[in-house]
Amino acid sequence: MTTEQLPEAPPFPFTRERPLDPPDLYARARRERSIFPVTLWNGQRAWLLTTHAHFRAVLTDPRFSGEFARPDFPAVTKARVAIDKAERAFVGMDNPRHGHFRRMFTKEFTARRMLALRPRIEQITADLLDTMARRGPPLDLVEHLAVELPSLVMCALFGSPYEDHTFIMKCAAGRHGLTQSPEEAARTARDLVDYCRRLIDAKERAPADDMLSRVIDEHVKPGNLSRDDLAEICSMILRAGHDTTTNMIGLGTLMLLNHPDQLARLKADPNLVERAVEELLRLGAPVQFAPRRVALEDVEIGGELIRKGDGVFAVTPSANRDEAVFKDPDRLDVDRDASEQLAFGYGIHHCLGQGLARIELQVVFAQLFQRFPNLRLAVSESEVSFKSDMQIYGVYRLPVAW
Amino acid sequence: MVIAQRLPNFRIRIDESQCIGAGRCVIAAPDLFDQRESDGVVMVMTQSPAPDAYDRAVKAAAQCPARVIEIVAI
Repeated sequence: MTTEQLPEAPPFPFTRERPLDPPDLYARARRERSIFPVTLWNGQRAWLLTTHAHFRAVLTDPRFSGEFARPDFPAVTKARVAIDKAERAFVGMDNPRHGHFRRMFTKEFTARRMLALRPRIEQITADLLDTMARRGPPLDLVEHLAVELPSLVMCALFGSPYEDHTFIMKCAAGRHGLTQSPEEAARTARDLVDYCRRLIDAKERAPADDMLSRVIDEHVKPGNLSRDDLAEICSMILRAGHDTTTNMIGLGTLMLLNHPDQLARLKADPNLVERAVEELLRLGAPVQFAPRRVALEDVEIGGELIRKGDGVFAVTPSANRDEAVFKDPDRLDVDRDASEQLAFGYGIHHCLGQGLARIELQVVFAQLFQRFPNLRLAVSESEVSFKSDMQIYGVYRLPVAW
Repeated sequence: MVIAQRLPNFRIRIDESQCIGAGRCVIAAPDLFDQRESDGVVMVMTQSPAPDAYDRAVKAAAQCPARVIEIVAI
């Protein structure tokens, strides 16, 4: 047990001591001051919610707003402020506006719709693994699988042309960096929305059997949804559908390779894959500095007074390692019931695409190690480069052999 | 020796206005929950679920990310 004083409102975000664990300060904060004050890039004070209970309480509390455009909305960088101000999709709205728009899309993501996509996702994955086998080792798993699978799935489901996915990924990354300028961030955000406008025009001219064509037919044509609003939402869905799943495939593969005993459990019993995916999401938690809220009035919670206008970060990597909910929280255990993990957020903004992401991850981790039972890192772990300069965590490359 | 446990009769309530259509309950207990085709809002499949479905109903409610499922013992 450390006797060192907790730092007083340290600058946020913190640096990780080890690439696959969140900063150690979270665990100390959970023990000693679980609603933890920090200082943001502009000197603004904000609070971290480090426990599972406070994460869920605040994200279902209407006294906290998720309107990105509010002047007091907390952000980790100046560039992020630029992006928040430009956000027009429902990810940055409170109810009732949020619900009005989101409901136009929920039928596209129902549990049964997602389950019906499974055979197609299995086929796409099998084809990618065939291609990997043909090319032969070593190769970069991020490039050949983690980027490709979500791109091909979004192509099939949403209707975005496959050849545009490098551009979409670039825009998603441009928005999530910790180091880019506000101008660059705003420009990549705008570029993707402009692209979406052109995509909507193209789908209106030549509809297909995909989500975008259906939404145009059901909501744009009758006048419920403007083309501009759809372009904003389309941009949100495209970047969310690519970036996070890609990062989880890379992180999840690395975590399993690092734990041969757990990987052996999964290989021996493929029925464990659903549990394993929840566990990998729990520990991987690629969305590091979100969800965010701002207090609409003074709120007392956990012995702290959060004042009206204070920003709050619900810190997913910390809540997912809360020892009050997950015993021995830093340990990877594919037999654990981790279904209460919070990698997809909580409350009204809970990830719209979580059902799809879960199936993609279940399929990929089931097939990858069946197809390549001897999969291993082709470099030492110290040579793996992590996205420590990004708000969405992951690995840049993962050279593997088999 | 097997001790018979008394399982509660229960009802499931949904706050439809707050449902976000995540469908976690449908995955957890497909015999108890389904989603409307038109907007993904969750529907309860039976007004009088069998007492042995209680645990699954509670699990489904716990997994709801919008906290709109209430399990009421009767």
